[in-house]
Amino acid sequence: MTRNALVERIEAETGIESRPRYSNQIEASVPRERIISFLSFLKTIGFEHLSNITAIDWIQDSTMEVVYNVWSYSERIHITVKSPVPRGNPVSFTCMGLWPQGRVYEQELHEMFGISFQGNPTQGPLFLHNWKDIPPLRKDFDTEEYSRRAYGYLEEEQ
Amino acid sequence: MSDFIKVSRDEIMDGKMERVLDFFRARSMWMLYYCTGCGAIELPPSMTSAFDMERFGLGPMATPRQADILLITGYISVKTLKRVIRSYEQMPDPKWVVGFGSCPVNGGIYWNSYATINQLEKYLPVDISIAGCMPRPQAVLDMFQKLKNMIQRGEAVGYKKYKLNYDWYKKNQDEVLNREEPVFREDELFSAPPEQISGEKITAGGNR
Repeated sequence: MTRNALVERIEAETGIESRPRYSNQIEASVPRERIISFLSFLKTIGFEHLSNITAIDWIQDSTMEVVYNVWSYSERIHITVKSPVPRGNPVSFTCMGLWPQGRVYEQELHEMFGISFQGNPTQGPLFLHNWKDIPPLRKDFDTEEYSRRAYGYLEEEQ
Repeated sequence: MSDFIKVSRDEIMDGKMERVLDFFRARSMWMLYYCTGCGAIELPPSMTSAFDMERFGLGPMATPRQADILLITGYISVKTLKRVIRSYEQMPDPKWVVGFGSCPVNGGIYWNSYATINQLEKYLPVDISIAGCMPRPQAVLDMFQKLKNMIQRGEAVGYKKYKLNYDWYKKNQDEVLNREEPVFREDELFSAPPEQISGEKITAGGNR
């Protein structure tokens, strides 16, 4: 199946619009309520490898996007699924039932962006040591000021 | 063995014995390299036949309990700092710390990162540092020559500094490792207007 045929099939069966990107990629945006059913549909049509989960903080829109990158070995096509969650209440749903490796990615997003995933039992600290502030990859976190206050800095010599 | 060098208590006390020992210490240095960052990539050329640091009496050592020199090669994240301190405190006296590259000196290119510390000197006594990102093997060998001379003259006394000023070092370590309060106060957190932050608007997003 070619890429454009896949785009049409996804729209025909789920009603979700997707668009081609670069030479072998597809991009789709899915509301939070339908993300798990959409991902499980993708898994049934051959997208069986979850490469990673990441997130983007759109602070002006007060929105955060959870981004799933999924790869199909049979079609050799990469699909990027974006799912917006509100910034004031960043909660989504876990994909552990589809891909067990999603557990660690979701734990990382919880630590770095503060997005929590319902159904994921591991939401504790992963990489950061004794972290007390807001999640560091949010756009309103000032990493330079944090570094100056927490670790100090050398004054420039005159 | 009765005609072996006899050392009286007075000679030990005024440091003569120490000077003899320093002569030998400077000629047999075993390094433990803690490869925290990218700096470790300059060590294989320094150690192997191209530059051959073994001709200066330097050798690699696998465990901290048999090592003399702790080589910190690159940036140090907070999590790593805890392990570095632990390795350093396991090493027997006398011991020396080398800051390798720009990152242990002032943070290097990671100076504004939330995850890495900026000055290693605040947490461990650094005897000698090499600037550069990365320092070439020539600089590494030059540094080891300098360190060797410092040891022989009895000038590399970082481990004594650590014992004498342990309270100061411990305070700095605790500030970073066992922080109890957040760095930013509550009212400093949001740069966007609060009503925008708490809004429940969901956009399709991403198409800009």
